[in-house]
Amino acid sequence: MNRVVKTASAALLATTMLTAALPAAAQTVLRLDEVPVGELDPAKATDNADSILMFNAYDTLVLPAQGGPGHVPHLAESWEIDGNTFTFTLRDGVTFHSGNPMTAEDVVFSIERTRALGQGFAFLFTIVESVEAVDTRTVRITLSEPYTPFIASLVRLPIVDRQAVMANLGPGDGEMGDWGAAYLSGMSAGTGAYRVVAHNPQDETVLERNPDYFLPIAQGAPDRVRLRYGLEAATVRTLLTRGEHDITSQWLPPEVLRALANGGAQILSESGTGAFYIKLNTTKPPLDDVNCRRALAAAYDYETGLRITQVTDDWAQGRPSTGAIPVGMFGSNPAEETLSRDMDAARDHLAACRYDPADHTLEISWIAEVPIEERFALLMQANFAELGFDSEIVRVPWALFTERVSSPETTPHISQIFSNAQTGDPDTLLYPMYHSSTHGTWQSPEHLDDAEVDRLLVEGRTAATPEAREAAYAALNDRLMEVAATIYAFDRNSLFAANPRVTAPALSDPAYAFGLDGMGFSFRLMDIAE
Amino acid sequence: MQAVLRVLLKRLGTSVIVLIGVSMLIFAIARVIPGDPARIALGPNATAEQVEQLRTALHLDQPIAVQYLEFLRDLGQGDLGMSLYTNRPVAQDIAQFLPATLELIFVAGALMILIGLPLGMIAARYRGRWPDDLVRVIAMLGVSAPSFVWAVVLMLVFAFFLPIFPVAGRLAEGFDVPTVTGFLTVDSLLAGDPAAFVSTLHHIALPAFALALSGIGQAARLTRANMVETYDRPYVEMARSYGWPEHRIATRYAFKPSLIPSLTIIGLDFAAMLGNAFLVEAVFAWPGLSRYGVEVILRKDLNAIVGTVLVISAAFLIVNIIVDLLTAVINPRIRYSERAK
Repeated sequence: MNRVVKTASAALLATTMLTAALPAAAQTVLRLDEVPVGELDPAKATDNADSILMFNAYDTLVLPAQGGPGHVPHLAESWEIDGNTFTFTLRDGVTFHSGNPMTAEDVVFSIERTRALGQGFAFLFTIVESVEAVDTRTVRITLSEPYTPFIASLVRLPIVDRQAVMANLGPGDGEMGDWGAAYLSGMSAGTGAYRVVAHNPQDETVLERNPDYFLPIAQGAPDRVRLRYGLEAATVRTLLTRGEHDITSQWLPPEVLRALANGGAQILSESGTGAFYIKLNTTKPPLDDVNCRRALAAAYDYETGLRITQVTDDWAQGRPSTGAIPVGMFGSNPAEETLSRDMDAARDHLAACRYDPADHTLEISWIAEVPIEERFALLMQANFAELGFDSEIVRVPWALFTERVSSPETTPHISQIFSNAQTGDPDTLLYPMYHSSTHGTWQSPEHLDDAEVDRLLVEGRTAATPEAREAAYAALNDRLMEVAATIYAFDRNSLFAANPRVTAPALSDPAYAFGLDGMGFSFRLMDIAE
Repeated sequence: MQAVLRVLLKRLGTSVIVLIGVSMLIFAIARVIPGDPARIALGPNATAEQVEQLRTALHLDQPIAVQYLEFLRDLGQGDLGMSLYTNRPVAQDIAQFLPATLELIFVAGALMILIGLPLGMIAARYRGRWPDDLVRVIAMLGVSAPSFVWAVVLMLVFAFFLPIFPVAGRLAEGFDVPTVTGFLTVDSLLAGDPAAFVSTLHHIALPAFALALSGIGQAARLTRANMVETYDRPYVEMARSYGWPEHRIATRYAFKPSLIPSLTIIGLDFAAMLGNAFLVEAVFAWPGLSRYGVEVILRKDLNAIVGTVLVISAAFLIVNIIVDLLTAVINPRIRYSERAK
């Protein structure tokens, strides 16, 4: 028996020694996680993981300004706008990871490729009528209709290496085959500060610093990055506690975030781009009466809803809402004008409603993949019961939800969604939700049909000056509160637990925040202590 | 030998029929569960036109029978289609993820045999004494909690409170093992890198043990029960009367006949682990096929669902054929009855 114990001990010791004897990494490594899969092809990117990859492996013509509205030059040195025509002058001396120089042809190719594949953020570029390379450094883009926030859309247009893709076209219909989709699903062909060295879409992507990047990279920025996919909350917690992980995803349950914060992790955040919306089906009785909707909006307990998102005394995954546009975004109401519960007003509105609450059972749905929504459903059930409404809580898987909302008849009375402005501009947040031409999607379970809302949405995307746009959105905000198609529960505040050795100004200091989801994870701006 | 060959051919024949049946069933089921695969694949921002375009590209606008025939035609060329989840060929995904799962369940299966069977032998040999009680407790613990509970418990104990095992992945950072078989234990040896080999064992230990625990318990209990029954047989009494040593009686006369039911259960467990591995793979961030299989079902990735289910079914059938063959080899009566037919 002694011999067995000795052998086992020796084996364990040898294992530990061999593992401990690994060569010390000379490089700084940043380890973070996201939900799978990591889509590397920038023309197919939609999720957070995809955005993180996109913003690091690729560059765009412009970047959102840090700490405020507007955009700053990036791959484009400057631009001019003449009606529907945008002319960009490209920065000189930028090279792709392959060593190929970045030219106007690459910009043209990137737009054409995005439109041809029709995935990811291609919908932002359907209004491009023509794009041409005037010379190697000048690109002219003409839109088919006025669209003022087009500059904002360009933050979702990563520029790909045309030569590299053309040399790696896969089989497919037409002359361009698969447009290099197979090739770009496995490696990066951008100008980004990091390039991909290994990629397994379900497991992890490994990136390393691009020594030839055209901008200076912070001295303490990580040499290598491991973006892991699909780590369980328990696994992330163990890894972070052992110092083997650096930044968690935003999808951890509040309890785990709280435990990590209490254990010494720092909390990073990204906010101002989206919100949590409680959507009321405006076509179904009793919610087809605006007074009933106003009654529900006034009866909802905003404060308790926010407490559900509370992680620590200082941090919550939500911030008080002031209306349809999240605080900090172009056109939002002042931060101090927060929404709050008002039962007297709720009863007054209900009195004006033509329906008797006792005659209707509200169907409150929550998305099966987002467990926190069940808590909001229970809160609403309790709140609305005070007005005399019975309700039924229904768990709906996402796949089924997208089908149910396609018609007003099958859309639940009440739906819950988290939504973000894809480009940081309110147009990409509000237009898909409320314009009458966009009914039947997950973003628009209200099925709202309001001419004034439509008019203001169009004005918001076509007004020529920022002042005019701001006025349009302010009016839209008021009108949306008036029609009460949505309960604006809280503004979203994405939280990430992080190892204290990480310094990420774009995720910790509002003065450096980008106002675009995922861009705070620009690794070149981070600092990793040894 | 001829009898074993006949068993093999018979099983292979029925396996092909089973696989065709499975493919038809899963092909139909995947298409009737709620949710539009094109919408899910393109993400929430895609326009209705984009969704329709993809539906047409995926032939989802055609009748199921036509879709199935096209699938069979492509399958005949070794093409399982593209995965909407990873945007890569399904065959490529399976080739990448399957070895990790197979490696995990091979090691778990080895643990089941190397730990479960000896525990059962010890319990039977010391029936009614403390080793028997101890094995019973271990077996009950193993069987009573699902693998993912053990995965979390083992992680908490041996990676969190006593940080002696790694938490996630298949290999420590800093190693670069060229892929040959996809089995990192094998590839690290082929690369002549013993430190990497030790690292792979270090990484696989906890997930494999978590996955094996239930099987260890079952194997131990079954082996014990069968051996206890065998110990009461006259031929064992006769062996004792010859004065043969107890260990020889245990291994030669009591254990061998008890092995057949244990082997059958281990075979079934082994195949079932392909499905059960999902949560263990999730907890230990093990990039395997089980995790992939669940993700593709959640995303209604039709080609990937069919491909994964076919591969898992094939693995299940192969393991069962191997068990049948082993049983025929071990048990002369089965061999001879086959020959008699």
